[in-house]
Amino acid sequence: MTLPAFDLLRPTTLDEALRLLSEMPDALPIAGGTNLIPDLRKGSHAPGSLIDVSGLPELCCIRRKEGHLLIGGGVTIAELLDDPMVAQTTPILTEMASSFAHTLVRNRATIGGNLVAAAPCCDSAPALLVLDAEIDLAGPEGTRRLPLAEFLVGAFTTRRESNELLTCVRVPVPSDRSYTGFVKMGLRKISCMAKIDVAVRVEAHSDGRCEFARIAIGAVAPIAYRAEAAEAHLAGNVLDAVAIAEAARLAGASAHPRSGSEYKRQVIEALARRLLTDVAGRIEGGS
Amino acid sequence: MDDVQPKPLPEVNLPDLNQVGKPLRRVDALGKAVGATVYAADFTMPNMLHAKVLRSDRPHARIVRLDPSQAKALDGVACVLTGDDVKGAKLNTDLPGQTGREARSGSDAPVLALDTVRYVGEPIALVAAETLDLAEEALRLIDVEYEDLPAVFDPEEAMKPGAPILFEPDNVVSRYTIRKGDLDAGMAEADLVVESTFRMPFVEHAYLEPDAGVAWVDEQGVINIRVATQVVEHFRSIARALGVPQNRIRIRGTMVGGGFGSKEDITVEIFLAFLTRETGRPVKLVYTREEAFLATSKRHPFTITHRTGVKKDGRITASQIEMVADSGAYPYLTPYVLLYATGMATGPYKIDNVRIDSVAAATNQTFTSAFRGFGGPQAALGYEQQMDEIARALDLDPLEVRRANYMASGDTTCTGQEVSSAVWSEECATRVLAALGDRTPDSPTRRIGRGLANTFQSYGRIMWFHDTSRAWVGVELDGTVVIRCGVPDIGAGQSNSVCQIAAEILGVPLDRVTIYATDSAVTPLAGTSTATRQLYMSGNAVYSAASKIRARLARRAAEYIGVSEENILLENSRAIVTDDPSRFIELDALAKMCAAEGIELSHLAQFNAPFTDGLDPETGQGDIWPDFTFGAVAVEIAVDIETGQIDLLKCAASHDVGRAINPAAVQGQIAGGTHQGLGYALLEEFVLEEGRIRTPSLAEYMIPTIFDFPETDVIILESGTGVGPFGAKGIGEPALTPAAPAVANAVADALGIRIPELPFTPKRVLEAVVEAREKRTL
Repeated sequence: MTLPAFDLLRPTTLDEALRLLSEMPDALPIAGGTNLIPDLRKGSHAPGSLIDVSGLPELCCIRRKEGHLLIGGGVTIAELLDDPMVAQTTPILTEMASSFAHTLVRNRATIGGNLVAAAPCCDSAPALLVLDAEIDLAGPEGTRRLPLAEFLVGAFTTRRESNELLTCVRVPVPSDRSYTGFVKMGLRKISCMAKIDVAVRVEAHSDGRCEFARIAIGAVAPIAYRAEAAEAHLAGNVLDAVAIAEAARLAGASAHPRSGSEYKRQVIEALARRLLTDVAGRIEGGS
Repeated sequence: MDDVQPKPLPEVNLPDLNQVGKPLRRVDALGKAVGATVYAADFTMPNMLHAKVLRSDRPHARIVRLDPSQAKALDGVACVLTGDDVKGAKLNTDLPGQTGREARSGSDAPVLALDTVRYVGEPIALVAAETLDLAEEALRLIDVEYEDLPAVFDPEEAMKPGAPILFEPDNVVSRYTIRKGDLDAGMAEADLVVESTFRMPFVEHAYLEPDAGVAWVDEQGVINIRVATQVVEHFRSIARALGVPQNRIRIRGTMVGGGFGSKEDITVEIFLAFLTRETGRPVKLVYTREEAFLATSKRHPFTITHRTGVKKDGRITASQIEMVADSGAYPYLTPYVLLYATGMATGPYKIDNVRIDSVAAATNQTFTSAFRGFGGPQAALGYEQQMDEIARALDLDPLEVRRANYMASGDTTCTGQEVSSAVWSEECATRVLAALGDRTPDSPTRRIGRGLANTFQSYGRIMWFHDTSRAWVGVELDGTVVIRCGVPDIGAGQSNSVCQIAAEILGVPLDRVTIYATDSAVTPLAGTSTATRQLYMSGNAVYSAASKIRARLARRAAEYIGVSEENILLENSRAIVTDDPSRFIELDALAKMCAAEGIELSHLAQFNAPFTDGLDPETGQGDIWPDFTFGAVAVEIAVDIETGQIDLLKCAASHDVGRAINPAAVQGQIAGGTHQGLGYALLEEFVLEEGRIRTPSLAEYMIPTIFDFPETDVIILESGTGVGPFGAKGIGEPALTPAAPAVANAVADALGIRIPELPFTPKRVLEAVVEAREKRTL
């Protein structure tokens, strides 16, 4: 189908955008449009108006403030990929961004849009979940803050109200004893939807033991989630092969893939084990 | 297969030429590089209407009611057509009596469904409106009521008693039998019988350019259709469907953004013809990517079973093969595709005792038709996987088993057709294996596998089609050259090749040649850009026409200079004396002289392929194709046995192309064909569930990107023995054929067991890993 007709509104401030969203119940916000435009062509939404939020200055920057990395909802995946501060403080986001679709999509798709769309195979969610990210939702009544895990409800479902905008992703800057890894498995090397995403983060004690761990998995459930049993198995332990193997097994067991995709449990286990083994090898002070 | 030394090449004396055999910049390159080439969807005309097609969303249903009245009443809608309006017109997809034992013209696809729909995507109605948005709105206003009918989605099921019937009397679309030698005697002679079954999926062509065209009625009342097509000769079928004389339809082909066989069928042009006739206005129809997926043909799924009798040293004594192909809802080119698969089923091997039974059946699924290789790649996935299964069963090296069975020039195929050109199977195989170099070591989780495939693939059409091509070549008064030839250029360099041939013969640089191509009214008809036939057919036609002019020019130049005709060479836009280049006449001066004296400076030539009768209906013996191209691919892969992912590490491809008219273009064909074949093995699967498409766009249907595979090491061999100009063989289709079986053999090498079904997705690989562990092959 051709793109249906719509009015495109281009507010210049966040306040104006929020006012338009509240005044026009059949309007949808659009940033990169990499999800929305194909959906419109398919006819799955028929908004009278689109409110372009991609140029809002409040949504467009990456800053470091009070121990947090603040990533505007309108920051593109390409900007994330190219940002030296992100690479230095949260390299897992750089890794995630480098596996995200391909250059043309990365140039348009935004971090806020990726989270708001809440596809099961959303790549950014697992990486942000292990970083304990929170998100800011701005609405007519002001801004509320939610942990990402709470924001994500299910497939294509979030806690965002229709008159709210995801303005900011807040990532606590991990300590220098934080080690991360991310892997995406798709059917080809670039430009594909994830079959499986696995993200890990280990916060290490000075003696190399794991203080706590985060393991998040994408594309094998309605929405990305943390494998808490696997995480718990690592907390306080030395990351030796036995501990890693058991945590990886638990990670695999946590998945509930669709019928016919049970093989994914085995793959998650292997990917988690590889990521954790790699992380353990990088921990300073570890054996 | 490690440490293989390339087999020395037989001595070949290829003349050193000026234009042919050089990697010259193709005549179509610059336009594409700078975006100046105008494709079918780029055309617009004043007062133009926009068309859309309403399609079935049911796999099998009776149309109870089809009411377009609301759509017709919509302001801005110029015309709505249904099956009644086109009077039950059908596409000519089958030629009765030419397609083996069943002649089923009654099952040809209707232009628009009349009372029954047989697959999801079948066209039901056409709309032409002032804007595309209005056309889409009109589609939504067409009221269709269906009554679902029982449907069948598997060709084996379709042939069982009680299956839903698409066309009476049964669902069999085509059937062939091959009987050569004495199968039972051959089996009795065998030390071992190896039996295997292989399965292949539907595959989408995924050409870059979705189907598109613009049609209008000109001042003479001729319907003009500008369309991206591989076959301008479809004007005849369109005329028949419209009930108008053939000289009232003109197809102006455009540069095609890839066809791979899908644009061999009629696509948008017949809809455009009806709509422009009905409205009297120009009409444009451009498929979206999703519509191109829904509305056009796919590669045939095949199930192939090989039962092969072998001696302990690997020699094959008997080969029994069964093939079942899925035709989808309508025959289109299925009977021919099945013939190709059947006729090439035993591969480039000398096998004396053969029994083949092949059948294609109709199902309520997207129709299948031509796709690069036309059944040859499916056949190769059968015989080349079976060669490795034989090697495994006998504990022999796969190359040794092939060496024990390679056919040589003068040997016959399974239909008893003698191969008269060079057969360089071993020359290709040893080179691709040597090109792989040192074997990559295994790691605990990454198992390395190597695979080889030796294949052959016909070029030129089935000989009882009595194929012809025509070309007109002329020299202008300034010494430039014009070619008029109806060759559709589908991106494979068809037009460039004939230009290089004319440039060589007439002794001018390539940039002094201009071609006008692919217009059914003003360029001599050259036949289809299919079947790897254009270099062979139109190349020979241009060769012939240019040679006629060359002879006239040489005669006049000889007379002018005062030497004998044999001493004249045409080179660098001059006619020179061979042994004294200081004596010459410039080509422009020579052309003016000829023109003034009434010596003809142009020539229209027709090239006729050899004609034969069809196969013997009982034994399937007889000649099918003019000649074959032999080639090989070897790959090295790594299988991640924990994730099921396969990495292609190395790939080499070698083909004997007879003579490379443009080696850079040949390299492009081989590299591209190989890449497409690798995708067939590793990524591509057009998934239908209950007749509904589960891979409706390029987001779900995985074609390989440039990042997925390493660059193919292309090794071009030139035996000079082809039936094309300068001894060329065809390479368009043969380039694809060996890649997928090479990968299949590498995966089996890595795991110790074979995955019987393409593509090798992580899921299938991991299932095989479990099985391999149980069988202790891993």
